[in-house]
Amino acid sequence: MTTVAPPASTSLAVAAQARDVVKTYGQGEAAVRALDGADVAIDSGRLTAIMGPSGSGKSTLVHALAGLDTIDSGRVLIGDTELTALSERERTLLRRERLGFVFQAFNLIPSLTAAENIALPLTLAGKRPDRAWLAELVEMLGLGNRLDHRPAELSGGQQQRVAVGRALIARPDLVFADEPTGNLDSRHGAALLGFLRDATRTLGHTIVMVTHDPVAASYADRVVFLADGRIVDELSAPTPETVLARMARLDAPASAIGA
Amino acid sequence: MWRLAVKNAVAHRSRLTLTWLAVALGVAFVAGSLVLTDTSSRLLDAQFRTAAAGVDLTVRAAAAFGSAMGVEVERDPLPAHLAERVAGTPGVGQARAVASGPGQLQVRGEPVRPNGPTIVGTWAEAPFTAYELRTGRAPDGGDEVVLDAATAAAHDIAIGDTVTVSATVSRRLEVVGLTGVGEDDGLSDSAVVMVDLGTAQALLDLGTGVTSVDVIAAPDVAVAELRSDLAQALGQEYAVTSGQDAAEASAEAAKESISYLRVVLLALAAAGLLVGAFLIANTFGIVLSQRSRELALLRAAGATGRQVFASVLAEALLIGITGAAGGTAAGVGAAYGLRGLAQRTGLALPDGPLTVTSRTVLVALVAGALVTLLAALGPARRAARVAPVEAMRLAEPARPRPRRRRLITGWVLLALGVAQLGAAAYLRDIAGVALGAVLLFLGLVALGPVLAPRLANAVGRPLDGLGVPGRLARESTVRNPRRTAATAMALALGLALISFVSVLGGSVKAISAGQQEALTADLLIQSAGDEMLGGLSPEVAARVAELPEVGATSSIRYGHWLDGGMTSALTAVDPATLPQVADVEMTAGDLGDLEEGGAVLAEDIAIERGLRVGDQLAMTLPRHGEQQVRIVGVMADESAQALSSGYILSLTTYAQHFNEDVDASVFVALADGVDAEAGRTALETAVSDFPNAEVLDQTHAVAARAATVDQALGLITLLLGFAVVIALLGITNTLALSIVERTREIGLLRAVGMTRRQLRSMIRAEAVLVAVVAVVAGVAVGLGLAAATLVGLSKDELLPIRIPVGQLLAVVGIAVLAGLAAGLLPARRAARLDVLTAIATR
Ligand SMILES: Nc1ncnc2c1ncn2[C@@H]1O[C@H](COP(=O)(O)OP(=O)(O)O)[C@@H](O)[C@H]1O
Ligand SMILES: [Mg+2]
Repeated sequence: MTTVAPPASTSLAVAAQARDVVKTYGQGEAAVRALDGADVAIDSGRLTAIMGPSGSGKSTLVHALAGLDTIDSGRVLIGDTELTALSERERTLLRRERLGFVFQAFNLIPSLTAAENIALPLTLAGKRPDRAWLAELVEMLGLGNRLDHRPAELSGGQQQRVAVGRALIARPDLVFADEPTGNLDSRHGAALLGFLRDATRTLGHTIVMVTHDPVAASYADRVVFLADGRIVDELSAPTPETVLARMARLDAPASAIGA
Repeated sequence: MWRLAVKNAVAHRSRLTLTWLAVALGVAFVAGSLVLTDTSSRLLDAQFRTAAAGVDLTVRAAAAFGSAMGVEVERDPLPAHLAERVAGTPGVGQARAVASGPGQLQVRGEPVRPNGPTIVGTWAEAPFTAYELRTGRAPDGGDEVVLDAATAAAHDIAIGDTVTVSATVSRRLEVVGLTGVGEDDGLSDSAVVMVDLGTAQALLDLGTGVTSVDVIAAPDVAVAELRSDLAQALGQEYAVTSGQDAAEASAEAAKESISYLRVVLLALAAAGLLVGAFLIANTFGIVLSQRSRELALLRAAGATGRQVFASVLAEALLIGITGAAGGTAAGVGAAYGLRGLAQRTGLALPDGPLTVTSRTVLVALVAGALVTLLAALGPARRAARVAPVEAMRLAEPARPRPRRRRLITGWVLLALGVAQLGAAAYLRDIAGVALGAVLLFLGLVALGPVLAPRLANAVGRPLDGLGVPGRLARESTVRNPRRTAATAMALALGLALISFVSVLGGSVKAISAGQQEALTADLLIQSAGDEMLGGLSPEVAARVAELPEVGATSSIRYGHWLDGGMTSALTAVDPATLPQVADVEMTAGDLGDLEEGGAVLAEDIAIERGLRVGDQLAMTLPRHGEQQVRIVGVMADESAQALSSGYILSLTTYAQHFNEDVDASVFVALADGVDAEAGRTALETAVSDFPNAEVLDQTHAVAARAATVDQALGLITLLLGFAVVIALLGITNTLALSIVERTREIGLLRAVGMTRRQLRSMIRAEAVLVAVVAVVAGVAVGLGLAAATLVGLSKDELLPIRIPVGQLLAVVGIAVLAGLAAGLLPARRAARLDVLTAIATR
């Protein structure tokens, strides 16, 4: 496998961006500003990791970028499409055609087989999967002999790989993965992360991955750090060590206050 | 545990709402039926009491029995001088001769047809009756009449108008007054026609006779004493009853039909409750399985299985009692609705304020609570078995597989049921058919979780055409066998009863059409009044016989008799003329021998009772009590069916034993060369002043009978529709609950691109699929049971089995559409689910 050095981010097209996004949950006293002026651009063809302490707004950011949730102010764009201008139905169709998802758990419909789960976004649109592409995906994901199994008959790692297959089957512009390895042991986690990286490097996909694991983040081309609903830092070509170091720096003031 | 139960019920109130509603609806039906029938009885009592108020004693001719099948028997007329004799008896204050009987009223050529009887009576005011003049004056002389104000108002009759009153004889009379009883303007469902004694005697063709003598005791005389004195003085021939007793007897007769109505209504209400029980069991099952982790926590914290069990039952009891309370309250409204429905199908039920007895409330509450408790028993037992370790388990609890023992029991019951149905039908054993039906039902309940998903899988194939939503709809229906089974079973039960009733109705119509085949008469005349024994004046037959267009006529009459305590029907015929209007096939003896007395039996009855020509049959007849009647012949079954009963006397014998002087039907054969239309016109003209005489040809006669059957069926089907509504609530409820359960799955589907529209169509497809499963199962079972019942009821020859295809298709169509409607609400709710709450990991 050839490892291509990531080019400078400025020269890359932007797959998605959040501009000054604010999102508040609850009202009055209990109001929580989950996103507080978040500003980020996701580069095309790369694996971007979003890191931050628990409750820092990682999931909220991803949901806003994916059009799964509305925002209070700011802008969200997928490519050139302004999400805030779309109707509910248009957002659904956009998700179906241009976005892919991998969640931490419960990624699959229990009553559908692995193959059917992979093909789901296409069949929902009344289309059939491209055979060659399906075969390639299945081959890469190592799911060859598991296609007729239902989720309950698959291991956690296999289930997450099926979910990745589903996220990629429609050749989306952008894939979101919210803690995809959260429920996996380290061996299965590493395999999945390797696969996500390959999907960007060899297949040219754009992937945004939420994680709080420095090792997972080190698979990314770029790490964006989030704290209190704001982007506070970023790191290119991360290693577990550099990520940890940044994390420690982020945590320091917080723990100082807490102490 | 009780506090926990209350808390749970309150916390899960939205999930339990529809269950509560199901209990309430079922109970409302029960309470409504009781309230309606109680009310009708009380109102009838009150009416007859008010009408007889003031009269202490009534003297009538003695009779072997006072009423049968809701019809009071007509007694011998009393000699005119009896009134004087009574008046002369010591202790009697006043006595009054009364002539009264059934009749008809015609206004401006249009018959007045109340749901109940038209009563021709003798005018009297207080102290003898509670009738009071509202306007005008009392009738005096042969051409004056007083009508009840209600009838007058309904038909726009004013004082000075002329009306035609007919009993045995028909007369045109001038309305001189309008009357009311107590506070009412008339008797409900009846028309009251009051004339003076002489006119009443003339109309009823009593000569100088009277029908009863009303007595008011002298002051200071005890009524009970006077009663025995009077009975002693008058002798065995006469019956002396207290005025209130007589009123009560009349009321009893009128109430008999209400007791049939009560049985039918309560049976239908029970069906509604049974359907509700499925819904309740299902809801508890689902809610508890959704709460199994919470239950496990309770167990882990030290609650015993028994405590969990008790808390679930307590929750059920709470819902049962509150639902039943709501239902009882709603039952009063339901009673109004039921009364309207029943009246529309021609049942004579009095209007008036409703009576709610403490028994009604008690029965309704107990029924509601008991059904809910019993239905929750299974889910409660399963809840008690939840192991404490399940609290620690991350994964969803495994779906319970149907247990082996249950499967075996189910298959055995099903096989026994089918075998029993077949054998009982073959042996013509109707009770056996009922037993088979119960076994079959139990077997289906036990096997539901196995059969329903398979059926759903099979009939759901076409849904795959809808793409992923259709496919998923089928999958999720199959995935929850117990749930699908219970939901579908409830609806299937209602639909099975409806298809059963409609096949039975279709066959009854075919049978009644077949019965006419033995008749060769061109035309027949019947009373339009639907009186049980018919109501044609004999004058009708006499007039028709004289027409030149008519070749032959023959009248028949109906009567009731007691067969060892049981009321039975008989038909009286004219043996001389009957063969001219009907193909009478005798298998033994000779119809002509009837003229000398005796009876002819239908063949099946002769065989059943083991009677042959020459044997004796004990019949209790109204005028002279028990008689030994000689069997003079046996008639083929088809011929007897054309005459509507299996016991046939001659009109001469009938006249000796019955006072009723009305024909049920007059069969008419036209003279040679007279065309049917001309004959019909001639007949209609001849009987035009008999308002209730209806001239029919064979096709119309069949259609008229069919219409009666249709009306009764319509009412029953409508009320069964009520059970279906409860079952549909079940579909809505189950789906709504399962959506709560599938939040994450739905969220995932939405996230990866399922549109709201697709999601809605998925949920609706599930509802329709359950409905279709129910339709297939219900209609199949209903048809099977109807066939078994009809075969079981057959004698030698099989009864016709008519499947009203159009009607069944309509039922199927409505059920499927209703299934779709049942899915609307859950579908909307699912579509509104927030994608994020669904995805958010706990
Ligand atoms: N649906 C919600 N309602 C209320 N508060 C929420 C909701 N979702 C998230 N939050 C709050 O918003 C903040 C950010 O949450 P989230 O984006 O899930 O954080 P992360 O994924 O980084 O752990 C947290 O304080 C969380 O409690
Ligand atoms: Mg998160």
